[in-house]
Amino acid sequence: MTATMRLVGVAARTSARRALADRGGMLISATFYLVIVANLAGLWRVAARGNGGEIAGYSAAALSWYVAMSEVGTVAVSGRLIEDTGRAIGAGDIAVELLRPARPVIVRIASETGRTLIRMAVLAGCGLVLTALLVGAPPNLATLPVLAVSLVLAVAVNVTAMHLFAASAFWLRDAGMAWFLYQKFVLVTGGVLLPLEILPRWLRTVADVLPFRAIGYAPGRLAAGHFEPWLVAQQAAWVVVLVALAAVAFAGGESRLQVVGG
Amino acid sequence: MRAALADATARRGAFVAQMIVMVLNDLVWVAFWVLFFRRVNDLRGWDVELMMLLQATLTTAGGLALGLTGNARRVGSMAVEGRLDPILGLPTPTLGHLLLRRIDPIHLGDVAFGAVLFAVVGRPTPGRVAVFVAVVFAAMVVTVGFLVATGSLAFFTGRSEPGDVAFNALILLGSYPVDVFSGMAKVLMFTVVPAVFVAAVPARLVSDFTAGNALAMFAAAVAFAALGSATFHFGLRRYTSGAVFTTG
Repeated sequence: MTATMRLVGVAARTSARRALADRGGMLISATFYLVIVANLAGLWRVAARGNGGEIAGYSAAALSWYVAMSEVGTVAVSGRLIEDTGRAIGAGDIAVELLRPARPVIVRIASETGRTLIRMAVLAGCGLVLTALLVGAPPNLATLPVLAVSLVLAVAVNVTAMHLFAASAFWLRDAGMAWFLYQKFVLVTGGVLLPLEILPRWLRTVADVLPFRAIGYAPGRLAAGHFEPWLVAQQAAWVVVLVALAAVAFAGGESRLQVVGG
Repeated sequence: MRAALADATARRGAFVAQMIVMVLNDLVWVAFWVLFFRRVNDLRGWDVELMMLLQATLTTAGGLALGLTGNARRVGSMAVEGRLDPILGLPTPTLGHLLLRRIDPIHLGDVAFGAVLFAVVGRPTPGRVAVFVAVVFAAMVVTVGFLVATGSLAFFTGRSEPGDVAFNALILLGSYPVDVFSGMAKVLMFTVVPAVFVAAVPARLVSDFTAGNALAMFAAAVAFAALGSATFHFGLRRYTSGAVFTTG
């Protein structure tokens, strides 16, 4: 095992342990998640029942499961990640991380993923219990193993894409605008607010070629009972692409940081 | 308040950019509801027009509450971190000064957006405009009172998180048509988290004014203003100085 891999492993494990110790933060995340899911699921159930029992091919129960699992990949990740990373870049704090025997962006992604996976597991558990109580068992139990993998990949895509957007701070000194744009992309083209089938055709086409659908739509669609393993393959491909893009963006920014910071 | 406004607008570029950001943010929610009602014609009496009225009142009232009284949602963290010290020595009412000393320009974008949305989809007549202004003011009072009351719980618990959760719950629950909810959830939205008085009831009053709803709205504003003031001043007796310098 190389020093880099050891460092990445230690970063992920340490963050995971910190997440486990932060019970207050976990409780707040879980509460917020449950309120969101209860509301959105209630809205879609009422809408489906008043619309002949289904909307865009989703039954009331399927929409509830879609909402519960599509929200996990977004709520589990810190909403301040892009801004915090941008602040570290803008203030030059990240220069210290260049002394480590591993690329800062890789360590940061590993650390955040370790922290987020713990939160994801808790939220997914809460979502399973709540949705089962509200509408009964998942529409297709065969999708559950694939769904578990999909949730992990959704978190990985989200964390990695956030770092890619945060890299804009190397050039702009601040990632506030990047965070804003990112949030909107995820909400609309990620299928977090609405299943993508409900979007107008032109917007659906745009959403299909962007990585954000890997965050909300993929786990939501699987949870709604559609056994479509290729969604997971797409998520895995996006993780690889986004890690590469984030590494390139940080490498370019770090060289610029050395020029500016001296 | 003049000083707070001068401070907020000192960097005009950033001020305008922040307002634009919030307008775009609000547009996403409008797009969501428009797309939603393309598929669903009616949601227990709610249609796209009433939903746009709800968005207009929510963004205007919320924007005024969070923009003009920027510290309303920071009462808890300021109490926990001992940042009330500089205000306590001033010869002005503590809560009033605390609320008005900070303006958050990003939320003034909400106010502009809400007003324009109402002008576009609210079929404004002199009567409807008058009702809109009145209910927005009442909803703002409810919001500020609720935020101060929940934030002031930090005086007793030593933690500011309950205030943050309450704030998110208010905005989130207020964004939905109240008739989607039933049973205990609906009772909670009229009492513990007064989300209906921030959005649904004001929107209903603009679209279909009734004296009963207007009276309930007025009573809610008075009740939450009194609750916020009482909780803050009662909690302030337990405040122990952090002896820190602050720009609060």
